Amino acid sequence: MLEPSLDLYGATFDKVEAVLEDLLAKSHARYAIIIDLQGFVLMHSKALWAPKPPSLDSLATLVASNYSANTAIAQLFGEKGFKEMVQQGDEVGTYLEELDKKALLVSIFDSSAAIGRVKLFTKKASEDIRAILENSSEIAPNMDFDSKWENSAKALVDGLFGSGES
Amino acid sequence: MSTINFSAREINFKIVYYGPGLSGKTTNIKKIYERVPAESKGEMVSLATEDERTLFFDFLPLDLGQVNGFKTRFHLYTVPGQVFYNSSRKLILRGVDGIVFVADSAPNRLRANAESLRNLRENLQEYNLVLNEIPHVVQVNKRDLPDALPMNMIQQVLDPSGTVSFHEAVASEFKGVFEPLRAVSQLVLEKLAQKT
Repeated sequence: MLEPSLDLYGATFDKVEAVLEDLLAKSHARYAIIIDLQGFVLMHSKALWAPKPPSLDSLATLVASNYSANTAIAQLFGEKGFKEMVQQGDEVGTYLEELDKKALLVSIFDSSAAIGRVKLFTKKASEDIRAILENSSEIAPNMDFDSKWENSAKALVDGLFGSGES
Repeated sequence: MSTINFSAREINFKIVYYGPGLSGKTTNIKKIYERVPAESKGEMVSLATEDERTLFFDFLPLDLGQVNGFKTRFHLYTVPGQVFYNSSRKLILRGVDGIVFVADSAPNRLRANAESLRNLRENLQEYNLVLNEIPHVVQVNKRDLPDALPMNMIQQVLDPSGTVSFHEAVASEFKGVFEPLRAVSQLVLEKLAQKT
């Protein structure tokens, strides 16, 4: 089955994007990223002043895996999960909020941001995003994965993996 | 489960390399990383122990290109093969779209191959998934071993019904590395086209 992890398109996308921008402006975080639990990036926003982020694919995969591992640890002790998921280094930290059972909101901040502000505004942003998604009446754009699509995609697979073996 | 991201115009698939410890899962991913052109791959991430055994997973994102205006991407993962890392293996299987089972040709690893396959079935059950309903292929690695078991013996143990495609490989020499990946990718695409 193919489906979006969150219904992020059309006006809903624009509203959520505005929430992420507001989060960055108020919290002084560098980046705000929505990822799904499979480790895919769904949406991201970067503060204008922030340096180029590292590979978002790597980041999303590691954050999603870390979240899953932490949840598994909590469950060993009979907890559903841990309430606070914050990592802090000397310069950079991450703070994570669950959006729903499929997706996470991650704020990445540096020492110029107060962690209390990051937590406060990330929590608020996650509530706002949940409300937007709940009230969304957007209908998913129709995607037709017919035999023509299948053949084109298979040709790409052949092109990438079809040669070069010794 | 494959996901679609309308905002980024991406379709994403997750392929997991599974198999017993030291069968060559990480070697596969490393060889793929070496051979795929730079514009089609992202950074490779490896979470390994000091002696280079996989601790959590290896990860390699691949970009196939665009179909109907949507970027088509495959995220490749390996799992840690050692028996005691089962919690990690289970987590990596979340949302899997296709599986390459990497079997070891060594005679003393036949039982480990069978146990790993059984473990794969059990871990999939945690997500209410059944192996037969997930696109999967078997790569029989280390065919260059002087005492490598015959292919038909390994097939008899891992797939007595003969329904799964088997591929011989010497992953360390890049022999038979792309073939199973291509096969499972095509199965994943076929499954999506059938379902929609």
